[in-house]
Amino acid sequence: MLLKFVARRLLASVIVVLGVTAVTLILMDRTRGAYVPGIDLNPALRPEDIARLRANLGLDEPFYQWYLSWLWNVLHGDFGRSMIDGSPVITHILERLPNTLELTLTAIVLGILLSVPLGVIGALRRGSKSDHALTVFSVGGFAIPQFWLGLMLILVFSVTFQHLGWPWLPSGGVTSPFGGGDLGDRLLHLILPATVLSLFYLSLWSRFTRSSMLEVLSQDYVRTARAKGMSERRVVYLHGLRNALIPLVTLVGLELPGLVSGGLIVEVVFSWPGLGRLAFERALQYDYTTVMGVVFFTTLLVVAGNLLADILYAILDPRIRYA
Amino acid sequence: MLDPTSLPEIELPGSPFEGDTSRPAQSFWNESWERLRANRIGVAAGVLILILALIAIAAPIFSLVLTHFDPTRQHLIDNFRPPGHPYLLGTDELGRDTLTRLIYGGRVTLGVASLTVVLSLTLGTTVGLLAGYYGRWLDDLLMRIVDVFLAIPAIFLFILMSILFRPNAFTLAAIIASVGWGGVARLVRGEVLSVKQRDFILATRSVGAKDLRLIVRHLLPNVLPILIVAASLGVGQIILIEAALDFLGLGIQPPTPSWGNMLTNAESYFFHSGWLVVFPGVTIFITVLASNLFGNAVRDAFDPRLK
Repeated sequence: MLLKFVARRLLASVIVVLGVTAVTLILMDRTRGAYVPGIDLNPALRPEDIARLRANLGLDEPFYQWYLSWLWNVLHGDFGRSMIDGSPVITHILERLPNTLELTLTAIVLGILLSVPLGVIGALRRGSKSDHALTVFSVGGFAIPQFWLGLMLILVFSVTFQHLGWPWLPSGGVTSPFGGGDLGDRLLHLILPATVLSLFYLSLWSRFTRSSMLEVLSQDYVRTARAKGMSERRVVYLHGLRNALIPLVTLVGLELPGLVSGGLIVEVVFSWPGLGRLAFERALQYDYTTVMGVVFFTTLLVVAGNLLADILYAILDPRIRYA
Repeated sequence: MLDPTSLPEIELPGSPFEGDTSRPAQSFWNESWERLRANRIGVAAGVLILILALIAIAAPIFSLVLTHFDPTRQHLIDNFRPPGHPYLLGTDELGRDTLTRLIYGGRVTLGVASLTVVLSLTLGTTVGLLAGYYGRWLDDLLMRIVDVFLAIPAIFLFILMSILFRPNAFTLAAIIASVGWGGVARLVRGEVLSVKQRDFILATRSVGAKDLRLIVRHLLPNVLPILIVAASLGVGQIILIEAALDFLGLGIQPPTPSWGNMLTNAESYFFHSGWLVVFPGVTIFITVLASNLFGNAVRDAFDPRLK
């Protein structure tokens, strides 16, 4: 039963991955013609040179042919070479990946660690002052533009603090340009971007934990547990929280793609050399092999995240049938 | 049978079964409207949005009467003026009046947001109705397409499409809607699947109604409440996305002012003109906050699944 469910979901995932790469390529294809903007205007290049250059990169093929050979190569672990600097795309991805993971994993872990207790407090003290404060906080967190929050934090903690001669936080990059790179330096650089990113997760998940907890606590089995004289602590944590967290698994799984793309804007604001910014900058330069590589990689994560969340959910919650 | 809790209890105006109890006859819409009006925060948020929209529509009047400046006219001598007189909220690097630009930026933001909502609702509803009503292979095909669009990391889709179509207000709305329609389609399809099973559809069919009539006259009114809810909950997100794209330089292009692109170069002025960073952001924040609060109130009032 579970196997069949997994197999069906896997098949659907493959279709989705193929569809996504195809759509990406169709979009990129329109810009392919002008690979390296202005190449046609270079007087030092003869028309046959340009034709040869384009042929070398496979740009004279129709896009479906290019797509099929790209796909074939990717299946053999070859993401091709960057259109801009000729280096293998996979090197770029692997070089940027650790930075992105450092930022997003920190944000997600911080988000979970803070949002679950906050959500539980909100649910247990429903209608209290702390509950209201939590609501206001998360409603506000939803409405703040991430990039602006980033700018404001830089304005306050980097610029203004520096003006006042106080210890200030670095406003961008993963490490200091000179002599940096040790753990303390990295952590210092991580504080501002991770705060911005985790605030988003925090407002999302704390609301969710709260409502999930409220729902679970109104279930019959919780009443039964109370009726048979179980201590409130055990009721809340053993029967309540454990079951309330099951839907959160799905929600966190859905954020897996955010590991790459969710941080893009934060990466841009804080000049963080991550995957999202790589895709952004390379897309502006029409480097479509790199963009295809990152999008493929990210989509793989999206699909894997959804799949993982579905399977975990089905295992954790026996009420779910593998339909 | 379907799970009865998932079925919306909707009474259409003029239903013959009204008025049989002590309560005066109330249509679904009247009832929802009453509930919405009783929500004080929601009403306040709605009024605030209305005011912002009016200011945006009347932008030329405001710049004539209140600020006396043009949004794109440069006063190079007066650049980086702090808030005060005559520049109420100061000026930017080219000496353009911040308040005037904020007011005009509201036109862009609110215009793009409403257009996006219309586009994604239209496409999403059409796809959802067709997929849900006809089912079978059409359902499979359309829903796989939806899956693909929802699986592409949205931000990449936005970036690629913005590079492809140099964005103006209309293409920008289309770009944002290209992601939004998928969710609407899923929502509508789910609702149609449940409404389709109900007796009144069978009855309508049995008196000879054609597919088109069934879909337009009977299914569409039944999915209308969740559409209203989806629309009002979506506006805040759309405004945030639009602002972010403008900020990245992928949205509305200068010199047309928008709340997002007013922040694009903000980092260069940090050291001397912090207010240039503060005002557009606060404006976005307040607008999104009001939209979200209003959206929540609308959901509480209109969502048939919440009763």
